[in-house]
Amino acid sequence: MRVVVSHRAFLVVLFAALALLPVVANQYTLFVGNLMMLYIILALGLNLLVGFAGQLAFANAAMYGIGAYGAALLQVRLGFSYWIAAPCGALLAMAVGTLLAFPALRLSGIYLALATLAFAQFTQWVLLHWNTVTFGAGGFPVPQPDFSALGMSPDRGIYYVSWVVTVVLLAFAWRVVRSRVGRAFVAMRDREMAAQALGVDLLRYKAVAFALSGFYAGTAGALYPAVLAYVSPEGFDLFQMILHKAMIVVGGMGSIVGSVIGASLLVYLLEVLRQFKATQEIVFGALLLAFVLFQPRGLVDFAKRCLPGWAEPLHYASDSESPADVTVADELVPGSGGGAPR
Amino acid sequence: MLMLSYLLATGITTGALYALVALGIVVVYKATGVVNLAHGELFMMGGFLAYTLHVMVKLPYVLSLLLAVAGSFALGILTDRVAFRPLMKEGLASVLLATIGISFLLKGIARVVWGGKGDFLAFPPLVSPEPIRIGNVMIMSQQLVVLLATLAVMLAFGVFFKTTRAGKFMQATASNPRAATLVGIHVSRVYMYTFGVGAAVAGASAVLMAPLTLLYPDIGFVLFIKGFAAAVLGGLTSVPGAIVGGLLVGIFEQLAAGFIGTTIQDVSAFIVIMFALIFLPTGILGTRGIRKI
Repeated sequence: MRVVVSHRAFLVVLFAALALLPVVANQYTLFVGNLMMLYIILALGLNLLVGFAGQLAFANAAMYGIGAYGAALLQVRLGFSYWIAAPCGALLAMAVGTLLAFPALRLSGIYLALATLAFAQFTQWVLLHWNTVTFGAGGFPVPQPDFSALGMSPDRGIYYVSWVVTVVLLAFAWRVVRSRVGRAFVAMRDREMAAQALGVDLLRYKAVAFALSGFYAGTAGALYPAVLAYVSPEGFDLFQMILHKAMIVVGGMGSIVGSVIGASLLVYLLEVLRQFKATQEIVFGALLLAFVLFQPRGLVDFAKRCLPGWAEPLHYASDSESPADVTVADELVPGSGGGAPR
Repeated sequence: MLMLSYLLATGITTGALYALVALGIVVVYKATGVVNLAHGELFMMGGFLAYTLHVMVKLPYVLSLLLAVAGSFALGILTDRVAFRPLMKEGLASVLLATIGISFLLKGIARVVWGGKGDFLAFPPLVSPEPIRIGNVMIMSQQLVVLLATLAVMLAFGVFFKTTRAGKFMQATASNPRAATLVGIHVSRVYMYTFGVGAAVAGASAVLMAPLTLLYPDIGFVLFIKGFAAAVLGGLTSVPGAIVGGLLVGIFEQLAAGFIGTTIQDVSAFIVIMFALIFLPTGILGTRGIRKI
């Protein structure tokens, strides 16, 4: 008998298991499950921007931080209820993400990567040094939302909220990549000029990609203070950047299911290595390098080849798409001021 | 006046070091079209290597400098072998992601070997810390030594680039890789040396900088982003531009720190990058860009 594992079945089983987790799990397992869902949201957002739309941006951790600080500070400083503060935090991150799209229209390749990296560092600096608003380097505690009306503890309550939000955002991303917008993203990534010639409005679709990714990261950020009951700048540092990147590369660039797989596995790995920052850096750095070198299409490509029934249409550029004799160096002749990422 | 002169002197010294970091970035970018995102970590490794040799093994300073530079050169070549050569045909994104992987790998290794977060290693000063007065200007003798050494490194680099066979190969490859292949230059070998030379310059600047600041595993990114700011300000493809850019970033940063607040130093790179990208997209000394399809 052939074992048929379809990508849909995989997602259904995973999310059913996550839904049932609170029944059997202790507080720590529940926390890890919740963290897993936050990172699934982050990876989905980043994959839409990097994997589908081909914008090599490094500001995801900053959007995550803006969402978290937005939601937390509105509660602590202005006394908003979590249910109002959280969407505001997510929308704030989305707004900042959209603003980043404007330099992105003029920048490509290396310039975009480094400008967004510098922006991420700037955000980190603001969180650290704008003491009068952000409480500085030490961070601050945030009250968890109250679920006593439903007879649930805050941890359990926010877990179900995260579950619902993750499922909705996953379904939404699933729809987006199969829509006109998703096709425009892929066209823009593969050949910007050709996409433009075919009527893809680059400004509009880059803005949409950055806004979507900002919204996803911001939503994960808005859930963060409710899950951890604490916010500090350290949660949004450079390490987060490589973590999110490693998730989509390990899972599979340009794949929705890949984002889910990458995020789930790497959160587990992160928890195993929790004690040692240096080990985390070595392992995640090595993972990213190894996958880029040996399995550039991620685990999802592996699943697709080995599991009959795994039929997610994958939107990566085909092998014949990039002529083998064109090297990076050929494309980026000195003075050309950067090149289009392919 | 005294404060201004002090700030300028410090700005020029740190700026010269940023210029060296920028030089490595520019040389690699010119030849290969990619920015090595692990450049900062190669810098950091150079510094730690020198620390190990000079402070722990107690080798003389000059010997440790040379060995650290050689070590950085080897690491640069390794970066090419691991992250650039196999991925060259895959495109920019793969190379950038692979070099980020390397940067975190090296940072983690440095943290394991030379201490955890918050461990700052002090490098002994080269000369007595007495300040020297030149007219109205106060300058730390330490800074003067660093400045002179930086100039020497730049000069050595210029001589290498202009006069040696390898340097000419690098120039030819940078200006047109296809034509370079046609006249018999082994282009991928040149890429390898370019990565090595870029890393060696970074290693040298780390050893020069170590006595002025402290060494810690996270220093790489800080220096990389400032070096990149300097390189962008100079046009990213121009070697003199990188030097001018480095000095400008250093001076700007010191003036901002002196007159606004020291924490501004940490974001000076961001401000410069954004300014340069918006107002001077081709840099001060860069050539006008022609966007190729």
